[in-house]
Amino acid sequence: MSETTGTVPKSAVARPATSRLHLPLSLSAREALAAYLFLTPFMVFFLIFVVRAVITAVNMSFYDWQILRPGQLYVGLDNYVELFNDYVWWIAVKNTIVFTALTVFGTTVVALAAAVAVTQPIRGQSVFRVILYMPTLLSVGVVGLIWVWLLSTQFGIINYLLSFLGIRPINWLGDEALVIPALSLTTIWWGFGFPMLIFIAGIQSIPDQLYEAARIDGANGWQLFWYITLPLLRPTILFVTVTGVISHFQVFGQPFIMTGGGPGRGSYTVIYYLFEIAWRAFRMGYGSAVAVSLAVIIAIFTAIQFRLIGRRVEY
Amino acid sequence: MSKRPLFAFLVTILSIFVLSMSVVSIQAQEEEAEPEVLPSPTPAIAELGTGGTHISFWNGLTGSDGVTLNEMLAQFVEENPDISVTTEIVDWNTLYTKLQAAFVAGQPPELILLHASEIAQFASYGVLKDLSSWYSDGGGWFPVDDLSATTYDGMIYEGVPYGIPLDNHGRGLWINTDAFERAGVDPDMEPPTTYEGWVELFQQLTLDVNGNNAASPDFDPENVAQWGFAVGEWPFVNWYSVLHQHGGSMLSEDGTTATVNSPESILALQQFVDLVYTYNVSPPAAGFDTWAGFAAGNVAVLPTGTWFRNFAVLQTDINWKAWPQLQFGDQKATWFGIHTFMVPATLEGEKLEAVERLIQWVSEHQVDWASSGQVPARLSAQAQLDPETYPTNILLGQTFTEYGVLEPKHVAMLELRAAIEPELGAALNGQKSAEEALNDAAERMQQALDRVN
Repeated sequence: MSETTGTVPKSAVARPATSRLHLPLSLSAREALAAYLFLTPFMVFFLIFVVRAVITAVNMSFYDWQILRPGQLYVGLDNYVELFNDYVWWIAVKNTIVFTALTVFGTTVVALAAAVAVTQPIRGQSVFRVILYMPTLLSVGVVGLIWVWLLSTQFGIINYLLSFLGIRPINWLGDEALVIPALSLTTIWWGFGFPMLIFIAGIQSIPDQLYEAARIDGANGWQLFWYITLPLLRPTILFVTVTGVISHFQVFGQPFIMTGGGPGRGSYTVIYYLFEIAWRAFRMGYGSAVAVSLAVIIAIFTAIQFRLIGRRVEY
Repeated sequence: MSKRPLFAFLVTILSIFVLSMSVVSIQAQEEEAEPEVLPSPTPAIAELGTGGTHISFWNGLTGSDGVTLNEMLAQFVEENPDISVTTEIVDWNTLYTKLQAAFVAGQPPELILLHASEIAQFASYGVLKDLSSWYSDGGGWFPVDDLSATTYDGMIYEGVPYGIPLDNHGRGLWINTDAFERAGVDPDMEPPTTYEGWVELFQQLTLDVNGNNAASPDFDPENVAQWGFAVGEWPFVNWYSVLHQHGGSMLSEDGTTATVNSPESILALQQFVDLVYTYNVSPPAAGFDTWAGFAAGNVAVLPTGTWFRNFAVLQTDINWKAWPQLQFGDQKATWFGIHTFMVPATLEGEKLEAVERLIQWVSEHQVDWASSGQVPARLSAQAQLDPETYPTNILLGQTFTEYGVLEPKHVAMLELRAAIEPELGAALNGQKSAEEALNDAAERMQQALDRVN
């Protein structure tokens, strides 16, 4: 060992220091360069598969673009003019907004409640966390099919249980007034597990001293939650609601599997309509106009959320 | 109760709810993969044979008919060991999506099974091969005179045949003979031939939990134990049949004008709406599983398709028989479709020869296809069917040949269907009147027609 060490020339030992790349840059510039280099692999894929696709979609929205037709027809803003005069589009937008509002609100409340519950020092805490997270692991196809059966007027267990309360079978998926709440209920059950984990992380990051001090001042459990937990979870709530809005505005699988957009167009959502326009009517240009318009709507709602919740967030 | 046990109790209740649903769901996922469930699940992808000339074949036969076709193709590759086949089965809507992407990418499968109603759309883009040389009138092997005139006409777009028909599939009525007897109706009666006759029959067959039928003044429509009819399964084809029975049509003869809001069309839809909301003999369209309802003995007369046969045989304990499509109008008419083999325009050489051989083999074995429930397209194959084994195929096949109506040949047929189907649903679920729904449908259809014509 000593022999080996002794044979290493001094120049070789010093190599790591002398071979380091010395650029005539300031420290901050070198740090920025390093950051960009780390980001480069992601950015390459992002530019190819996201930015390029977005630019293509925006470009297609100015054409009467039929996917199988050789040569496409430039129509300027005609697709957007048609879209804003298309009553089915507005039905889809309304349904999507209602679905998103119900689902984001419901998911946030249920996930927060579950997170608070499973961060209490109770026996089997980890088991409960696993169980509550389990639905998130299921595919939308399985969730959709199972909930069709659960909500069935003929054989559904939910209507069966309601019958003990003297309630007649409710046509959850066949009633225009109930179908969106029913899809939302399904989605909340399916999706609250992940935001629950986010909330658990948020709750665990709140210093215990704050609770101890409040308890010394005589605060009860509700006051601890209302004046400490909830305000300090605002960044987490902002994250959960913003990502929830972006995600649920793009709902497709649930109406596609559970209702086929019905009854009538009672559960048409924007992406469902996009699918119909682009892939059943072969109208990629008009479908792209739907997609671009949806992106603008999501951006507006996200900006509103940052204005309403974000300015009161302390990180 | 102190707070900690209360938390534990609440979390336990919530967890039990979530766990029970999850277990049901996971169990359902696992059950999907079990091979012994009857009927056999249709494999999404099947590799058949090991021959060097490979055929990729896409179709939408997600029911038991997919299993039947795979069995036939397994026999084919056994007799043709130089050919191997990969069948890929996806639902129809996804198939249209995949096909568009595949054609654009220049990598379509070598063989496709679609419907005759889609020939115009795909052929208009130039992606389908002209198959006129395969028909006898072009010097080929498929005898044109072995098809009904309507079936052969369904293969043609702008004078060129683009498909080889596999079957005629269409609508009929499945009769629960036990339900008839429960209602005191003879199941061997002759089917009515007028709307009034059908309403009277459905009223007799619809029973509330107290045993009163829908014609009785004591009938309780809120507590129905047995429905006479069910309007929910694919309302488009029921309406389309009755539309033609009244002498109406979807489009003008030149294909430039939507005529779905004609008096005949409104009458056809109104008759179905009245079965739900005036006569209380059918549940609303949405939220009622018609097949499960029939299997549970809750539906006496089920309007459905030839593809229901295997479900009725394998998955119900119901004593049943088939009737032809109901008749509400003055004329006989029933919707039917044609599963059709199509070949990409770019296919040439050895693969084209292999595909032709496959289609010819299947065409010559169409009798075997009857076990899927569908009616073989070739009249000679229909004539060979055993009446004991295939009563529904024979009965309904005759109606398709004699008075079957295909959907219009139009390059925007999928879009036209997408325009009208939700409107039919809206009327049948009480969201719009029949006239309002069909006016809205006509407006959207006309927009599409003006754009593409």
